[in-house]
Amino acid sequence: MGFKSIAIATALILSSSMSTAALADYPEKRIDLVVGFAAGGGTDVMARTTAPFLEKYLGNDVSVVVKNMPGASGQIGVTAVAEARPDGYTIGTYNLPGAMARTLDRDADYNADSFTYLANVVNDPNVIVTPKKSDIDTMDKLVEAAKKRPGAVTVAMSSLGGDDHFFLQRLTDVTGADYTVVPFSGSAPARSALMGGHVTMGIINISEVVAFRDELNVLGIASEKRSSMADDIPTFKEQGFDLVNGALRGFVAPANLPENVRTRLLDAFQKTYDDPEFQQAMRRSGNPTELALGDDFKTLNAEQLELAKRIWETTPWK
Amino acid sequence: MYGNLIDALPSVLSLGNLLAVVVGVVAGICVGALPGLSATMAISVLIPFTFGMDPLVALGMMAGIYNGAMYGGSIPAVLLRIPGTPAAVATSFDGYPMAQQGRGGYALQVAVVSSALGGIASALVLMLLAPPLAKVTLLFGPTEIFWVAVFGMSAIVFLLGGDVIKGLISAAFGVFVSLVGADTISGAERYTFGHLELLDGINIVVLLVGLYALPPAIGLLEEIRDFDTENTGRLNTTSIWKAIPGMLKYWKTWVRSSIIGVFVGILPGAGGSMAAFLSYNEARRASKNPDDWGKGEPEGVAASETSNNADTAAALIPALTLGIPGTAVAAVMLGGLLIHGLQPGPMLFRDNPEIVFGFMWQFLFAAILLIFLGGALATNSFAQVLRLPRPLLGAIIISLVFIGVYSINGRMFDVYLMLGFGLIGYFMDKLKFPLPPVVLGLILGGFAEQNLRLALRIGGGNWDILASSPTAKVLIGMILLVILSPVFSRLMRARKAKRVAE
Repeated sequence: MGFKSIAIATALILSSSMSTAALADYPEKRIDLVVGFAAGGGTDVMARTTAPFLEKYLGNDVSVVVKNMPGASGQIGVTAVAEARPDGYTIGTYNLPGAMARTLDRDADYNADSFTYLANVVNDPNVIVTPKKSDIDTMDKLVEAAKKRPGAVTVAMSSLGGDDHFFLQRLTDVTGADYTVVPFSGSAPARSALMGGHVTMGIINISEVVAFRDELNVLGIASEKRSSMADDIPTFKEQGFDLVNGALRGFVAPANLPENVRTRLLDAFQKTYDDPEFQQAMRRSGNPTELALGDDFKTLNAEQLELAKRIWETTPWK
Repeated sequence: MYGNLIDALPSVLSLGNLLAVVVGVVAGICVGALPGLSATMAISVLIPFTFGMDPLVALGMMAGIYNGAMYGGSIPAVLLRIPGTPAAVATSFDGYPMAQQGRGGYALQVAVVSSALGGIASALVLMLLAPPLAKVTLLFGPTEIFWVAVFGMSAIVFLLGGDVIKGLISAAFGVFVSLVGADTISGAERYTFGHLELLDGINIVVLLVGLYALPPAIGLLEEIRDFDTENTGRLNTTSIWKAIPGMLKYWKTWVRSSIIGVFVGILPGAGGSMAAFLSYNEARRASKNPDDWGKGEPEGVAASETSNNADTAAALIPALTLGIPGTAVAAVMLGGLLIHGLQPGPMLFRDNPEIVFGFMWQFLFAAILLIFLGGALATNSFAQVLRLPRPLLGAIIISLVFIGVYSINGRMFDVYLMLGFGLIGYFMDKLKFPLPPVVLGLILGGFAEQNLRLALRIGGGNWDILASSPTAKVLIGMILLVILSPVFSRLMRARKAKRVAE
């Protein structure tokens, strides 16, 4: 046994004993909050809005530091969280259905079991929009147009294999009509193409449409109940279409988080969510909130994975 | 709405908010002047810190950085032939020859005055014409944007340099680099070799720094002893106020380049480098002595620098009104707005007029401040850099470049990639392959491809869609004009020469 291996062994023993000590009174040091997107995006803003509340409710004067690891539509960040040490000092943002869809369409270095699910805080339902000038302003007219000439209805969306794409697959199933996908890079260019009348319809999220109500027709919202952000938009269920879908954003930690650390974190997320100031900050940044804590989040993730698998098997998106 | 504009003025003029703009401009000039650091990066670094700031302080700094960096990029472009930012590539065409002729100081003065004028024009357009111009943006769907990209590519002809074949190879290399990453239409991975880091494509800064900054920096290292630093170090500057009257003859270029810059700015996705290339090209075509261009024509510097600053505030028009950023910097700035709960869209102007209009004023002030801070202070102090021994200068640039490229995404992968491009750039330089077509190919190749394919999807695979809208027809006409005009003028000249001979 050379000096090197002794050193490594010592380091391992030291670090493991240190982490055991840390578990006793979590949190004792800085917590890194990994965001898989660049600073300033929707997920980043959610993380930065949440961080100070976590600091408050975790106590111990802990600091929660946002660390941006952009790339591969969030996959680099999620992978880093999955591979981090499960000690509660690395947590990260998590986007559905994207995070699970990537385990199907790419060689991802993680799967659904790689995480401890903490809290999903944002649920941003899909909406169908058409240009203001368009005469397709109800679901019935839309379905009629799509059935009359298969593929003639062009659908603007932000990307492939995301919540909007999944929604379109469901729409195709439910209406039995054919649509042509036009994937832009991001929802803002898709929305502008709609406002300019370059495409027939678009699938975006409610948070992206509220500021543009005067420029677009909104045909329906894919949630169980009407949204508090725009309660005049009827749900698809009300209109007889069984369509519930949306973009989910939340927080995860690596799998096998010690139970006491998990409890502390879940407690902090619950308190954060209940804080009126947090709700106000999220509303201001246009994030529709809906909490799924711990095991509920895990179930939610499993549902999303199941859906993604079903779609991938019947109609792979790439 | 113009009432709101006046109402927003007092808060902008408060000490803290003005100071923010000054700090931003100075920081922007420095960031722009350092190869490898860009405005996009500076603003993304700033954003987390703005979380707790007053919105106008944060936005003022961003406006300052954006304007400052667009000028700052020209300093190393002129003095060392290393563009500090992608948008300064066209500035180096004539700026560097001027510096070699001992007119570097004048080149920088032309650059700073042109930058300021472009920035002022852009800010005024943002203040007065944002809503109507946003409607223009909506006319540009994928089809129309495709033609804009083709129009930009037609400029490649003028950038090929002496050897057309080598120029085309360079351009093809640029287009090839644009192919790397996930295909945005089908999701298929192209040339990523399983690397997640390559899925989003190759960042323009990585390519630019590798090709443009490393080879000249290595060149500096190769000059073991340089006794000539005294000569190049002297920029022969007179006071900027004395130099301005002599520049007034560039007014046509200023006006034309401002219009081009604003136009490119309001188009989603194009950005400052395309504005600079296009306006350099147009200015050269309008010039009486196009053959002097590339050999130290101050008007070339004026054209490029006016339009890359004219692009700044204009890029915010679609960003603020529609949420689509005209440039990468505007995209980061949108994030800065979002952090303060300011969501882009028509409601923004209704709900937060004091901040939106205040932000517009800050753009105007930042542009005006450029003349004072850039002209009087920065230009002279950066010129001193040239007095450093060449190998030291080369070493400093190389270390800055490493830091800059690493900090884009915080990973070594990009640094290795940059070194690879550096190797390619070094050999291209030695073998006399022109570099500008590579940059143009990368920027416009991907842009043209994605929009062409979106357009064809919308048209159900029918190519007729490409000429279906009036906007598209106008663009096609303009492209034909650009391509055919040299042919016609050559024919005319040949006929004239024939007649003279007879």
